[in-house]
Amino acid sequence: MRISKNFLFFLILLLLLAGSSGWASKAARDKRLRKTGVKAATQLKMEPNHTIDVLVVGDSLSYSSVAPLRIWKDYGITAFVCGQPGQKVRETYDALKAAMKCQTPKLLILETNVLFRRQGGMDELGETVAETGGRYFPVFQHHDIWKSFLKDFTEKIHKKKSYKGFEIRSTVRSYEKGIYMKESSKSTEMGKNAERYLDDIVALCKEKNIKLLLLSTPSPKNYNYRKHNTLREYAQTNALAYLDMNLETDRIGIDWKADSLDRGDHLNLSGACKVTDYLGKYLAGPEWKLTDHRGDKAYQAWEEASAKFEKIVSKRLVKMKGKR
Amino acid sequence: MAYHTAVYLAFFLPAALVAYQLSPKKMRRVVLLSAGYFFFWLISRELVLYLIGTTIFTYYIGVWLGWMKLRYQTEAAAASGEEQAGIRKQYKRKERWILTGSVLVLVGILAWLKYYNFFAGNLNALLRISGSAVSIAEKDILLPIGISFYTLQAIGYMADVYWEKVPAEKNLGKLALFLGFFPQIMEGPISMYSQTADALWEGNPLKEENLSKGSVRILWGLFKKMIIADRLYVLVSAVFEHYEDYSGLVIAAAAVAYTVQLYMEFSGCMDIVIGSGRMFGVILPENFNQPFASGNAAEFWRRWHMTLGVWFKTYIFYPVSVSSMVKKWNRFGRKHLGKYVAKLGVSAIALFPVWLLNGLWHGPQWNYIFYGMYYFAILLGGVALEAVRSKALSLLHANEHALYWRIPQILKTWVIIFVGELFFRANGLLAGLRMFVSMFQDFTFEDLWNGTLLRLGLDMADYLAVAAGCLVVACVGMIKERKLLGEAGLQAFRTPVRWGLYYGLIFAVIIFGAYGVGYQQVDLIYANF
Repeated sequence: MRISKNFLFFLILLLLLAGSSGWASKAARDKRLRKTGVKAATQLKMEPNHTIDVLVVGDSLSYSSVAPLRIWKDYGITAFVCGQPGQKVRETYDALKAAMKCQTPKLLILETNVLFRRQGGMDELGETVAETGGRYFPVFQHHDIWKSFLKDFTEKIHKKKSYKGFEIRSTVRSYEKGIYMKESSKSTEMGKNAERYLDDIVALCKEKNIKLLLLSTPSPKNYNYRKHNTLREYAQTNALAYLDMNLETDRIGIDWKADSLDRGDHLNLSGACKVTDYLGKYLAGPEWKLTDHRGDKAYQAWEEASAKFEKIVSKRLVKMKGKR
Repeated sequence: MAYHTAVYLAFFLPAALVAYQLSPKKMRRVVLLSAGYFFFWLISRELVLYLIGTTIFTYYIGVWLGWMKLRYQTEAAAASGEEQAGIRKQYKRKERWILTGSVLVLVGILAWLKYYNFFAGNLNALLRISGSAVSIAEKDILLPIGISFYTLQAIGYMADVYWEKVPAEKNLGKLALFLGFFPQIMEGPISMYSQTADALWEGNPLKEENLSKGSVRILWGLFKKMIIADRLYVLVSAVFEHYEDYSGLVIAAAAVAYTVQLYMEFSGCMDIVIGSGRMFGVILPENFNQPFASGNAAEFWRRWHMTLGVWFKTYIFYPVSVSSMVKKWNRFGRKHLGKYVAKLGVSAIALFPVWLLNGLWHGPQWNYIFYGMYYFAILLGGVALEAVRSKALSLLHANEHALYWRIPQILKTWVIIFVGELFFRANGLLAGLRMFVSMFQDFTFEDLWNGTLLRLGLDMADYLAVAAGCLVVACVGMIKERKLLGEAGLQAFRTPVRWGLYYGLIFAVIIFGAYGVGYQQVDLIYANF
């Protein structure tokens, strides 16, 4: 009697899971409802289709280092940061695929810190469990589809503040531990999953004819020479461009006393401006063939957004200098 | 591998349950102990040696204390009545030395691993100020998981043997299991030897009732952690990590959000831990008892992190209260300063070490010490004003249990809690002070509806999920507080209703949980303490 009762409980649970999974899958295919969990990707969807030439993906290092509206101001290049805190490379790949549905970027910049995130066996096992669960019961994968019913609210919010994926953060917490890129012949392995997904990203870019740039933004906490060696080797093997700004901090003008947000983990606004200026100049180089859209009426909104952004940035930078 | 992760819930716990059930009764304790050490090793690798070392050390100290007591009994039995008192005094002194020395060893290991860099950093700052060129090098020290928890359990056991509350354990494995039961390793609850050791060692077979009740408790913990705490983490990190960018209501909202996050996370984790223990038939002590229904700070601490409170009360507060120093002060104070001041002095002497240690226990940061001292000042203020309060109640003919009196008291306690947690979460004491001050700058209630709160990483849907989750938790808390369901709990309902509640809970976690793409897996806060 007890056994059959327990069996009935789990049978009903299974049926409910299957039913809700069917509903969630259907809802996820509905274009009016579909919504990725990456907030920056939701913001990206609000950009007019096929207007973004440079897409930046990665974890929090991406949106605290690259300010697209500053690149626009100087070079007229349309860039967007589709980053996510703690992003894993699988999510990067998903975000990229979602972005491709409404944009046709000419260049993809991958902030490389995602490739070294959580490499423990337990984490990989956890990811596999999550993936398997999501495959058999899509309700796990699309569980927050309910948020789409509140789309009106969320879209209003995202429209209010959009710096094309960049986040203004003006806290200053200095990094004081000195040189962190000590030359070494050793290398740090990427996680198995990370390399597999990176291969997929490379393949996707080739298929869509998108150039790929691997970018390591300055971060003493996250980068070292061993990681540099790994990334350089991968870039060489796959004929990719790799820009490691951690080796260029002097040229970029990074002052670790003033430009660190949190003791060498992320850059603050001041650091991000320096990195963005350097990156902008790099992207304006002839090998990237990126269009300068300034003066094009179709991109008038960028002019306005950029002017507003610069105003806010100037004020914040003055305030930050005052605090030092 | 934290307790809320898929790896623990889908693999580790079921595997441990299956292995436990399939083993012969006497081997079940071996399964539990192996699971505990394996769990520890998965997180802290070779640092599991610290746990093993502490276990062996504690065991032999217990054996030594037990042997001393036996020797005393033998010698006392052969001695005359007059000599007995002398022998007792002599042995008591020796035992006290053994206990003091062994506590110092365990605390010393904890202090070395956890506080070395804190003391070195502060000493270096002092040396710099005094113009000295000398400095102490800071070290990269790896901290074993749960050291603050198992160290307190070990000290508690030794003190219990010293006070003869429990006999010295003869079986090393039993003590090892008490200190290394895997659900308790990361965040407690801090149990006493008499509470869990026997149940852990018995190796009773799994029971359907325990499995069912344990599973529901785990689900309830996931509800709190995944729907509420992990969502609020986004807002809390945004404000506390970049507090210079905010002021006024945003800071106040972040303090409230952190308090709720911490409660939902820690109590949610405790639900998972207690549920896991229950599945093996082990009843672990509760750590929370509706703390937000407290009418004052003292009551709050009797309802919040209860096992830590009980530990401090048992092993610090009471021994200090009955120490000769306090007795001397009491006599002196009553004679020269009056009853009121004497009582206040006694409270201050007994409370100060408790709250200093409470602050320090949480970690090597000044804001934690401040947090301890904050509650020390508030509780001492409560003792000082007790007479005034009683007089006011009698003059006003007020009933302190009536809602008109209780609700303002509860709201006042909330303010105390929120301010305390603001300092607790802040990135250092200076940041806490700055945040506290900036809370009063540019404060406007308009921020509640002008969209400011919607720029902190949470959208309207997230806020709605948090609000609905909190409402459910508050309702359940009220049912528990008023004991509306009785002993039977959910079992009082008929099967269809009960199953409906279970399915509701499962799908609430699946649908509204903050997991998957777009969410970060949030580590357990207390696992770092």
